[in-house]
Amino acid sequence: MIAEPPDRGAGRIGREGAPHQQQSVPLAEPRSPSAWKSAYASPPKDEASLSEAALIRRICDGESELFVELVRPYQKMVFTTAFSIVRNEHDAEEISQEALFKAFKNLRQFRAECRFSTWIVQIAMNEARLRLRRARRAAEESIDCGIDNEEGDYIPVDFADWREIPSESLERKELRAVLHSAISSLKAIYRDVLILRDVQHLSVAETAAALGISESSVKTRLLRARFQVRDMLAPGLDGYWNMGGNNYKRVRPF
Amino acid sequence: MTDERIIVEISCVEVWRQISDYVDDDVDPEMKARLEFHFERCRHCQAILDGTRNVVALIGDEETFAFDDAISERITSALAQRIASHPAKDE
Repeated sequence: MIAEPPDRGAGRIGREGAPHQQQSVPLAEPRSPSAWKSAYASPPKDEASLSEAALIRRICDGESELFVELVRPYQKMVFTTAFSIVRNEHDAEEISQEALFKAFKNLRQFRAECRFSTWIVQIAMNEARLRLRRARRAAEESIDCGIDNEEGDYIPVDFADWREIPSESLERKELRAVLHSAISSLKAIYRDVLILRDVQHLSVAETAAALGISESSVKTRLLRARFQVRDMLAPGLDGYWNMGGNNYKRVRPF
Repeated sequence: MTDERIIVEISCVEVWRQISDYVDDDVDPEMKARLEFHFERCRHCQAILDGTRNVVALIGDEETFAFDDAISERITSALAQRIASHPAKDE
């Protein structure tokens, strides 16, 4: 059993459950997942960011009802972050509600040197971790896959030749379920980086700030996370994910 | 005069260390050339690269995590209720 790691740096849960702001990250607009490839460079602060800042000021000045509008664009981000960790829609929904309410209660602690989305996703991640601990699901937290030496190299265990993903593959519940399972079964230190980088599309710098770790650690953990997920999906590559059409191909030619 | 470049070969283990950064286009030009030189000659590492790219694409796809209007409505409604019943005071 691998215990949850201690809360780290900017991701620590404060008295009210909100992370403290300790590091600066670039100001930028939230990005749509479909635009992730171009999202690594943080765009300049623009009109939407300014209106977000104005909304926050108004909420802090007493117009509490505006908070729902402030966080509406981030609902999916919060929900998917929670779901990635707890793997249960009902729990993810409850966690989302709780995380957003904690964000409301702690909005005055938010400092504009950090993107609002980064702050919100930190709260969601912390809330999901709390839920996991309470549910005593830590036993499901880790799996061993490949040769995983924290200090050494991760050696891939499967060399399946996986060159094509039919676009309709994600419509298959099986593939989505295996993906969810693979992500949530990673050790927490790898899973958290994978969620922020590849699900939420935060930059390396933003991920490092959110988790209170170095950019170098972000890259190392991301590599391991991606390799481990790849190894977990590889058995299904024997035609399973591609079956039923012309997309089947031999995946282990060596 | 021909433009001859010398590309230093690297091992598979070194390639694996760099694959994730390569997928993110976060390696310097010299390392990029070494990696691509290696991928052209090593089917194993090319397969690892393809798989890693596909994992990133799958995880980042909007379809991977369902989120529909009903969930959004419930979250919004519950949040609005809690905010409305929350006493107005400085936290």
